[in-house]
Amino acid sequence: MNKPGLYEPSFEHDACGIGFVVNINGQKSHQIIEEGIQILCNLEHRGAIGSDHKTGDGAGMMVQIPHSFFTKKVEFTLPPAGQYGVGFFFLPGDDSTSYEARKLVQSVIVREGGAFLGWREVPNNPESLGQIARDSRPSLWQAFLKFPLLKNRALERKLYILRRCLEKEAIARGWGMDDFYIPSLSSRIIIYKGMFVSTQFISFYPDMKDTDFISALALVHQRYSTNTFPSWPLAQPFRYLAHNGEINTLRGNINKMVARDPKLTSSVFGNEISKVIPVINPEASDSSIMDTVLELLHMGGRSLEHSLMMMVPEPFGPKYHMSEDKRAFYEYHSAIMDPWDGPAALLFSDGIKIGGSLDRNGLRPARYVITKSGKVIMASEVGVLDIDPQDIREKGRLAPGKMLIVDTGLKRIIRDNEIKAKITRWKPYRRWLEDNRIELKGLFQVPGPVEYDPNTLLTRLKAFGYSLEDLKLIITPMVRNSQEPIGSMGNDAALAVLSEKPQLLYNYFRQLFAQVTNPPIDPYRENLVMSLMSFVGRQHNLLDEKPVHCRQLKLYYPILTNDDIKRLKSAKLKGFKVGSVPMLFKTEEGRGSLTSGLEQLCLAVEKKVDEGYSMVILSDRGITREWAAIPALLATSTVHHHLVDRGKRHLTALVIESGEVREVHHFALLLSYGASGINPYLVFESLFELRNRGYLDRHLSLPSAQMHYINAINRGLLKVMSKMGISTLRSYRQAQTYEAIGLSASFIEKYFPGTTSRIGGVGIDVFEEEVLHRHFAAFNNEPYHLKRLDSGGFYAYRQKSLKHLFTPEAITLLQQAVRDNNYLLFKKYTAEINNVNENLCTLRGLLKFKKGNPVPIEEVEAEGHIIQRLVTSAMSFGSISKEAHETLAIAMNRLGCKSNSGEGGEDEERYQLLANGDSAKSKIKQIASARFGVTSNYIVNSEELQIKMAQGAKPGEGGQLPGFKVNEIIAKVRNATPGVMLISPPPHHDIYSIEDLSQLIYDLKNVNPEARISVKLVSEVGVGTVAAGVAKAKADMVLISGSDGGTGAAPLSSIKHAGSSWEIGLAETQQVLVMNKLRGHIRIQVDGQIKTGRDVVIGALLGAEEFGFGTSALVVLGCVMMRKCHLNTCPVGIATQNPQLRSRFRGKPDYVVNFMRFIAREVREIMAELGFRSFNEMVGRVDRLEVNRAVQHYKTRGIDFSGILYQPDKQENLPRYCTETPSPDLTNDLDLRLIKDAASSLEKQKKTSIRMTIKNFNRSVGARLSGEVSKRYGSAGLPADTIKVKFEGSAGQSFGAFLAPGITFEVEGDANDYFGKGLSGGKLIIYPPDRSTFLPHKNIITGNVNLFGATGGEAFIHGMAGERFCVRNSGAIAVVEGVGDHGCEYMTDGRVIVLGKTGINFAAGMSGGIAYVLDEDLLFDTRCNLEMVDIEPLSEKEDIDFLFAYIKKHVDFTGSSYAQRIVDKWEDMLPYFVKIMPVEYRRALERIQQQESKESEWVGMTEEIYT
Amino acid sequence: MGKITGFLDYKRQDFKIQGVTQRISHYHEFAVPIGETDIAIQAARCMDCGIPFCQSTFGCPLWNLIPEWNDLAYRGQWREAYERLEITNNFPEFTGRLCPAPCESACTLSINDAPVTIKQIELAIIEKAFQEGWVVPYPPQKSTGKSVAVIGSGPAGLAAAQQLRRLGHQVTVFEKSPKIGGLLRYGIPDFKLEKRVIDRRLEQLISEGIVFKTEVMIGEDISAHYLKKSFDSILIATGAGHPRDLQIPGRNLKGIYFAQEFLTNSNLFVDGMIDGNQLISCQDKTVLVIGGGDTGSDCVGTANRQGARRVFQFEILPKPEEWKYKWNPYWPNRPDILRTSTSHQEGCEREWSVMTKSFSGRHGKIEKASFSRVRWDRSGKSLQPDMQEIPDSDFELNIDMVLLATGFVHLVHNRLIKDLRLQFDDKKNLRVDEHFMTSVPGVFAAGDAAKGPSLIVKAIYAGREAAKSIHNYLMC
Repeated sequence: MNKPGLYEPSFEHDACGIGFVVNINGQKSHQIIEEGIQILCNLEHRGAIGSDHKTGDGAGMMVQIPHSFFTKKVEFTLPPAGQYGVGFFFLPGDDSTSYEARKLVQSVIVREGGAFLGWREVPNNPESLGQIARDSRPSLWQAFLKFPLLKNRALERKLYILRRCLEKEAIARGWGMDDFYIPSLSSRIIIYKGMFVSTQFISFYPDMKDTDFISALALVHQRYSTNTFPSWPLAQPFRYLAHNGEINTLRGNINKMVARDPKLTSSVFGNEISKVIPVINPEASDSSIMDTVLELLHMGGRSLEHSLMMMVPEPFGPKYHMSEDKRAFYEYHSAIMDPWDGPAALLFSDGIKIGGSLDRNGLRPARYVITKSGKVIMASEVGVLDIDPQDIREKGRLAPGKMLIVDTGLKRIIRDNEIKAKITRWKPYRRWLEDNRIELKGLFQVPGPVEYDPNTLLTRLKAFGYSLEDLKLIITPMVRNSQEPIGSMGNDAALAVLSEKPQLLYNYFRQLFAQVTNPPIDPYRENLVMSLMSFVGRQHNLLDEKPVHCRQLKLYYPILTNDDIKRLKSAKLKGFKVGSVPMLFKTEEGRGSLTSGLEQLCLAVEKKVDEGYSMVILSDRGITREWAAIPALLATSTVHHHLVDRGKRHLTALVIESGEVREVHHFALLLSYGASGINPYLVFESLFELRNRGYLDRHLSLPSAQMHYINAINRGLLKVMSKMGISTLRSYRQAQTYEAIGLSASFIEKYFPGTTSRIGGVGIDVFEEEVLHRHFAAFNNEPYHLKRLDSGGFYAYRQKSLKHLFTPEAITLLQQAVRDNNYLLFKKYTAEINNVNENLCTLRGLLKFKKGNPVPIEEVEAEGHIIQRLVTSAMSFGSISKEAHETLAIAMNRLGCKSNSGEGGEDEERYQLLANGDSAKSKIKQIASARFGVTSNYIVNSEELQIKMAQGAKPGEGGQLPGFKVNEIIAKVRNATPGVMLISPPPHHDIYSIEDLSQLIYDLKNVNPEARISVKLVSEVGVGTVAAGVAKAKADMVLISGSDGGTGAAPLSSIKHAGSSWEIGLAETQQVLVMNKLRGHIRIQVDGQIKTGRDVVIGALLGAEEFGFGTSALVVLGCVMMRKCHLNTCPVGIATQNPQLRSRFRGKPDYVVNFMRFIAREVREIMAELGFRSFNEMVGRVDRLEVNRAVQHYKTRGIDFSGILYQPDKQENLPRYCTETPSPDLTNDLDLRLIKDAASSLEKQKKTSIRMTIKNFNRSVGARLSGEVSKRYGSAGLPADTIKVKFEGSAGQSFGAFLAPGITFEVEGDANDYFGKGLSGGKLIIYPPDRSTFLPHKNIITGNVNLFGATGGEAFIHGMAGERFCVRNSGAIAVVEGVGDHGCEYMTDGRVIVLGKTGINFAAGMSGGIAYVLDEDLLFDTRCNLEMVDIEPLSEKEDIDFLFAYIKKHVDFTGSSYAQRIVDKWEDMLPYFVKIMPVEYRRALERIQQQESKESEWVGMTEEIYT
Repeated sequence: MGKITGFLDYKRQDFKIQGVTQRISHYHEFAVPIGETDIAIQAARCMDCGIPFCQSTFGCPLWNLIPEWNDLAYRGQWREAYERLEITNNFPEFTGRLCPAPCESACTLSINDAPVTIKQIELAIIEKAFQEGWVVPYPPQKSTGKSVAVIGSGPAGLAAAQQLRRLGHQVTVFEKSPKIGGLLRYGIPDFKLEKRVIDRRLEQLISEGIVFKTEVMIGEDISAHYLKKSFDSILIATGAGHPRDLQIPGRNLKGIYFAQEFLTNSNLFVDGMIDGNQLISCQDKTVLVIGGGDTGSDCVGTANRQGARRVFQFEILPKPEEWKYKWNPYWPNRPDILRTSTSHQEGCEREWSVMTKSFSGRHGKIEKASFSRVRWDRSGKSLQPDMQEIPDSDFELNIDMVLLATGFVHLVHNRLIKDLRLQFDDKKNLRVDEHFMTSVPGVFAAGDAAKGPSLIVKAIYAGREAAKSIHNYLMC
């Protein structure tokens, strides 16, 4: 696909609904087909449709070959079933090319020794399709062929080889995937798929209706793609699997495969292996590539399940209690293949076996039902097929990392343990590992003495570009606290490419992060699934397994001490040679010396590889005046790609020994571009100096200091990986999850191929110059120059150092202007900010307006209109003080504009008007991952609901409000306890992919249909495609945040290095939305260091309609950019909760009012000058922008704005701004009926009782009803049980979401994910149907993520719940009979009673509330995360009484006989109960108790956490 | 990083000084040194701002790395503190004593609190450095073979000389007076800057290889042309020595002096260079200081030490706003508020909005001065407020001596300037380009000579920057 503008096809995402149904005994029937279609249709809401409201993103079904059907349909004779192959072909629509393609197919079949039997043109019905799908429809053909001597696996393998031959022939003819594609070619299965929504499937393929069309299994997939560009081949299932999820590490996985391709050998393929390779088509989707590799492994001789266990291994870290053989299996295979990391529910089949498998995090749902009549149904949701409750034998869900297979050959179900017991002992992996694995003695022991040369230290530090900030702000805190340093107030320093100061290459790279389409992971609370362990060394043939495969060095983490490197260099190991190559270039050879240095380096490394070295150390030790260091990242990536190109990459590990490396970002980048281990020797040497100079505690020994530093880097690496949703270092390595900003295309192509760099920039000459500049400055003999490091100025402002947008002068002018209401001063301020000659920091600084025909200013849209487009950005009450937060709200309300609550909830008192008529209510309410205070009442009291997917300062990360900032009022609005730390998880636990976001939007629209829904994203490559997905999810507005923004606290590396500028993200979003014809349906807002009217106009021309102000609004209120928000010491009372400092707050609403008016006035002036009369006219007019050549300097010359200034709407007149936003489809909404039936309750508080049936597609039931209750009765709601509804059936997602007080929902049946999401005081009861016979406490009755973010109410669940039960509960009381992994995570209040087993990682990050667990096998403490909680016996009478009362209630409401047993034997059962009590919470409770007795106010503590 | 909550935990504590009676009995500095621990506590108040305003155009003109050395002083890392201080400031011992400390009025703490005692910390660091022997010469390792003449040995000339020497040039400093130091030595009274402080620094400069020639008046003793021929470049750093006169009746009576004349004379006396008969003495006299600025204040202090009977200080401008709070209402700008110097505390009667109209006397000697009061009106159209005499407000005082501290207008237009035919700007200072070069190639000017009267920190900064330009000029 071509790449117009900024759109990058490789960043398309999809997500979906998947499912299968199978007759265990292999009995084929047409009923299975019908049921498959039924499943597909019932999952329709998980898919999406395009802007024509009809074209689906794709759906498909894999079935066994219907032999009798084909026999009937073809005119030629078919061999017996299983002895011929059927290929499904998507060929070009026009007849002649199609004919040509068919001729080709026939000839290749013959060439490969097969016999061609005939063609069948597949009947189809294009009328049922959407326009986009119809226009791109291929011609559909089935080919029948045989290989006389072959059958079973041999035949399948030959058909595979044939397909690869055909695909390669097609490529040779220049046919892309859209011209020539083979959905399936097999003797066992056939795949019908295409670009439609599920309901169109059956009408499009009439074959499906034929009763002879039979199969014992059907595997289906419904796709939701972020974009709707016509692509039939991307519909799923693929040849072996259907995938719901994302592969985050795709680039690395591809590279690792490509590198080994040429060296593949296989006994089963013999010579024919050459026909198969290269196996990967890099243009295909992630799922498709994964399928290709799975196919190769499987065809190469491993079983399907074995291959999957290699590609998607379970976590096997030390925290898991697991079989030694299984651990050894995974460890052995980690030396062969790195995980394909990312959320994944995988359904797979080879036509005989069919099964499902889940990624290690369990981030996608997979529910199954086993019936007594011999079927297994597995799908993303339960209830996709109607099954008689009596017929149900078992209900379950796939747990993280687990697998389930139905073998129709053996006619039985094979469960996880059986599968893995067999495969892990297939070969003596444990023995092989013990005999071959290298664990260098002494490596990773306490570090030995560091050799250190104080005489040259400063010279070397300067040569590697160290500043005082590096030592003081980066390394010192890491050594002191074993964690990364924290900062605040975003980044306003110049982009690396705009900085006239030399910059390290690292600063040109931005970390990618997960948003919407896949979730980030919590590296702290869920670190048990994460791993930094890796095997490094020479890798062997992928299609083989021998002991030598694991003759590699095991590294527990990738940082090596100076001692480790010494040991490695001197190690004498059989079959493991370690070599070293200098990473230096000669300084005196003039221009191009760096290039030639790199070339020599590549050759030197390759030579070592050829000589059989398993590990090569690239070292820049030994820089001298004559020899300068090659930038380590440049060296690593260049060597890496050189070896990939030569097919030798897997033959050696690259270890980097460099003085340049110091921060987390450096380590992460090096690993991402090819390093296996890194030794930052200069950091370790500088520790001496730091200790001598008193930065470090004298009592801290140097070995400990080194270990602290390593720990900090390790934690940082986990964080960088986790923000991309990557769990293991093994898969992170080489994954290139970065975007470059400011590197030229030729530079990228040569040294960093595969990396996105969209605005061009500098090349190798600049780096050579900058390295030499630093180098000579350092080696300058003058002692005067020698003795001092530069100040830096990257993190804090220094007048003579790096440029920053906010200068002292600008702040002063702005504050004076708004205080005195002086527009002239304001113009001086904007002149200072916009002064690009002096202060070029941003991309927009390089742009200027093209002259237009000015219009008289009176004719331009009024200031009062323009101002409506301005909002204040989200800043939580908690991160900023009550005074500052309310001042912003009051000001914006006075203007009729919107302020944003931020994620901290909002005090209900603010919903009332103040005495003077002002309102302190935030019109925009944020819905963030922690859901603090997100109740039904909060939702109805807003005009806009903003789902925060990421924030500029630290996209992809969670956060925490330290206990000392949580005072009484904050605790109140967040439903927490004063003094107890509050954690915001990195992901929204109800948004693991795009269809989940769509679900949350649907939930919110239901609770408050009047509010507009917005989604906040952060700029990075691919944000446009995500935004398209957001538009398809029917959000009203998408907010593109620049990565530079952010007012809160965040790790410095995230503030500086994650995400990209809003100019690029906004332009991409606008382009992709216009191209997809979606722009008219959604508004765009932009924020991130927007400071002037000029910024606003540039934003508008690039496509934004609305604008957010964060930092500048705070400066208006008195902020002076102390960047101390994280320390609670804001001296102007803004970002602090300390009462003493809060009293220093001097901001006034008038200042903000003046500021917004000034901005609007300036915008209006510019509009007049440019000749725009209305704002809308201006939106998206990139043609009115051009590059300001006048402000360029040596680094900006290569910057290319053509991508940003690309206009997709040149030919067609597509809307450039939003004209109307779509309303949600309420066809399956039960609430309209509920509201009608409960009218008397709503109006007069009379009791109502309702009964109805429910299906899985009835989603968010109760949300709208709750909204009605909250609107009328506020947070108090109705008296208990006023509205009682009993449902029968399978409840859809988000059942009982935000259920308001006074509503009781009872379900006889089961429920899906997000049951009781945000429960706001209502009551939920669920139990299996009366007639069912399975044991509920051993079966899954509701899905994952139940009661997420509940703030009050009660839930009684007769049966087990899935993963992540009661995550972020802050007030609800729940009784359940068993839960999956990560139960009660991040809980801050409420009570949870588990009457049975829990999964692992229970109570991780739980800082409040209490859980009670029935621990009959005494193993609960092995599954509980004990970092923040204590487990204790129940002794207090209060606890016992509470527990008994609620179990009794549970019995009464659900009729649970299991719970009845506990009640009956109370005295015997009680001792088995344990109480899980958060440590900090207990302390806080004690403190509150003491204080109550003293009747004094809670006093802010001045505890220092990051000093 | 200082101490994170230091500004909340500790109160500002400025220099401690001797009592008035004690200190006016001598000419020595009277600040009582503060212990290292107390300085560290004061340094702990620094918030290490994300944007340190002390280091902005509102703050230190030298761009001193204030937050960095504050932190080091707090942590007792005096050596490194000195190293960071030395990066930007050649003579912290001068600025630490004399600077009006715009850094402190721009300190972010002074938004709503008392600022960090930056000047005091600076002084403590440099005094510690001298005491520990860390202030050592850095003679250049290589010579460039180029020579520079620096004319004038005030702060600008000295800073330029040091920078140029360290870059490897041969530097000769010419000074018309008997000793090196310019205004530092002859303009500033000893109670503000003891002259041993200058001598101590001179040792370093001499060891670095700078040649000093005193009692040489360029243009008179050595011709400008000869100088120009003998040196590769010339830097004029002669200051702005031309005083503003007060042309009113009776001006030529005896007993009326320019402040500078008076102060220089007093300094020579204190230095033992002249004896009592040559001293312009205020003893037992009623002294009128005209001009309310710092020089006037120095005159007040000197007069009191000489035993004046009564001292008046009159200023024509209105009395600035009185401000009793510790924060700066005009942050980060230097506040226009009433300042009371230590000299004022020593005894003087200050009046504002007073215009001196005439002097009168007998035997050619002043005996009386006549004044009237004026009103300043800001309502007019022009930016400058209008001044109007208040009718019938005239009054007279018996006066024995008048010191004119009404400021300086520009540099002295001596032979050097005339012979080199240097061009002036509209204020009659030397016209220089952005590289400090005058209208004659190779001739540079820095400090007050180029920009008119200003602060010592600005002079040091100008000297350093001019040195950079001269270096570039010489090396290209």
